[in-house]
Amino acid sequence: MLLSACASEAKHSAAITDDFGDSISVGAVPARIVSLNTTTTEIIYAVGAGAKVVGRTAYDIFPAEVKNVPDLGPGLHPNVEAVLAMHPDLVLLYASETNREAARQLRAAGVRTASFRIDRISDFARVTRLLGQLTGDTLAASVTVDSVNATLQRVRSATATLPHPKVFWPFWESPIMSVGGGSFVNEIIETAGGKNIFAELPAPSPTVSFEELLRRDPDVIVTGARTQAKLAGDTRWRTLRAVREGHFLIVDSTIATGPGPRVGAGAESVARLLHPGVRF
Amino acid sequence: MTPLRWTLLIVLLVSSMLIGVMFGTLRLGMHDVINGLLGHASEMNNSVVRTLRLPRVLLSALVGAGLGAAGAALQGATRNRLAEPYLLGVSGGAAVGAVLAVAFHAPHALIPVIGFAGALGAVALTLLVARAAGGHGDARTVLMAGVVVGAFANAAIMVALANADAMAVRGALWWMMGSASDASWTQVATLAAFVAVGLAILLAMGRAIDVLALGDDTAAGLGVNVARVSLTVYVAGALLAAGTVSAAGLVGFVGLLVPHIVRLAGARTHRSIIGSAALAGAALVVFADLIARIAMPPAELPLGAVTAIIGVPFFLALLRRLA
Repeated sequence: MLLSACASEAKHSAAITDDFGDSISVGAVPARIVSLNTTTTEIIYAVGAGAKVVGRTAYDIFPAEVKNVPDLGPGLHPNVEAVLAMHPDLVLLYASETNREAARQLRAAGVRTASFRIDRISDFARVTRLLGQLTGDTLAASVTVDSVNATLQRVRSATATLPHPKVFWPFWESPIMSVGGGSFVNEIIETAGGKNIFAELPAPSPTVSFEELLRRDPDVIVTGARTQAKLAGDTRWRTLRAVREGHFLIVDSTIATGPGPRVGAGAESVARLLHPGVRF
Repeated sequence: MTPLRWTLLIVLLVSSMLIGVMFGTLRLGMHDVINGLLGHASEMNNSVVRTLRLPRVLLSALVGAGLGAAGAALQGATRNRLAEPYLLGVSGGAAVGAVLAVAFHAPHALIPVIGFAGALGAVALTLLVARAAGGHGDARTVLMAGVVVGAFANAAIMVALANADAMAVRGALWWMMGSASDASWTQVATLAAFVAVGLAILLAMGRAIDVLALGDDTAAGLGVNVARVSLTVYVAGALLAAGTVSAAGLVGFVGLLVPHIVRLAGARTHRSIIGSAALAGAALVVFADLIARIAMPPAELPLGAVTAIIGVPFFLALLRRLA
């Protein structure tokens, strides 16, 4: 009985299962990591394995030193030969169907490959712990997760009793794509004490019509500085009360790239904008 | 076309436009709409009617009129019932321009301009290819050249999008499927000028197109300069299509379908086919845009998808009648 429990424990720690359902052995600590998802790249750096990264996506900008790592393309449908040319012993992919074949080919070439779907804040904690196991530093992973969770919890309790303004957070203006209920940015808005006007839509970035936007009449628009200038000068957008009254909250738009190690700080920065004068 | 049928067409267009202004996500009563048009409603309703819906309805009408008339003239001049303005390379060229603009994050206001430039470039290329192939003024060669330029344009789009981020790809795709959702009064004014000029040229060519139908030799014998008439129709049709594409992206099926409808409705001479195709095309696109706005709230459907969904069964019914 005790023996079988131990055996299953050993088995459990010897391999993890990724979001394609493939199992990845947790034996040797990797020395050369290719990460083709900006969020996993940030996590790898956060858990202290950044020096081992030998390949990244074209979109990686965090942390700053990742710029010195070779760019292997957009990350979806990767060029498998270009990945193999970096001689990685661990490849991290985003677990979307477009990457399934690449994962299979990389495994067939004998490279440990783990694919994760990191779409929600809960995925961040889950994947960070798994990556900690893979890179051999579960303590660093726990510290990263705990620190982000502590920030999120602090922001959530500070805003819980405050009035929640109606927030519109556009990803794109033509067509209008909003943050939907399926996006982690919706979780950021809620944590920061706001009410996303399109929270009930299940898609992460649903397309919405302009009249629908008028009907829902947001109190504030969260966006980047360039988009603000564009919207503020547009006759059509000026029919929206928040635009006319200049209720823009300017955020660092890289918050919206993925629920990575900066998600706690991101939520805190949104909370400060939504609730000026409140101490966090 | 009898005067009664002309009247019916105009009534159809005007009523589709009224319905287009009346309905949307926001519920406005007849009273609000009329007051909104006059500027006497609440500030909100005034701007919904005058800043959002009215330019949108007018832009849709102009897009439909331009595509319908261009399609009718091209089907006549090429003596090919499958001809449509997009076949001249217009759609492909415009899409390349717009997709490049979106993929490289050009300012949004520049997208129509770049799309228009792309359309013109593609039309010029089509005519050059046709000329180089020796088919100067030959309708079939021009159409083939258009297909080749279109295929090349598609390849260029794929290359441009291969490295673009997901949002840019969605933006480019949306543009390629057509939409009047960004309508502004400036766009309405620009496209109105295009449609007025293009339509006037095509209507003026109506007689000559009728003669072309008798065959090139007969037409030449009757004193029609076949090559010049064809070229004028191609260029005017392509300009009309390029103008509509830069205003609302690619709105498929209108240029192909509408000329068939008006011919079935009894239009015989090309002047009346082109004129009635402009009216019917306008009504069709206004109606399609209304569906695009209200069918799937809170989302909007791409206009080109709606025109195709309406167009396909219509076209199948036509095929049965023709077969």
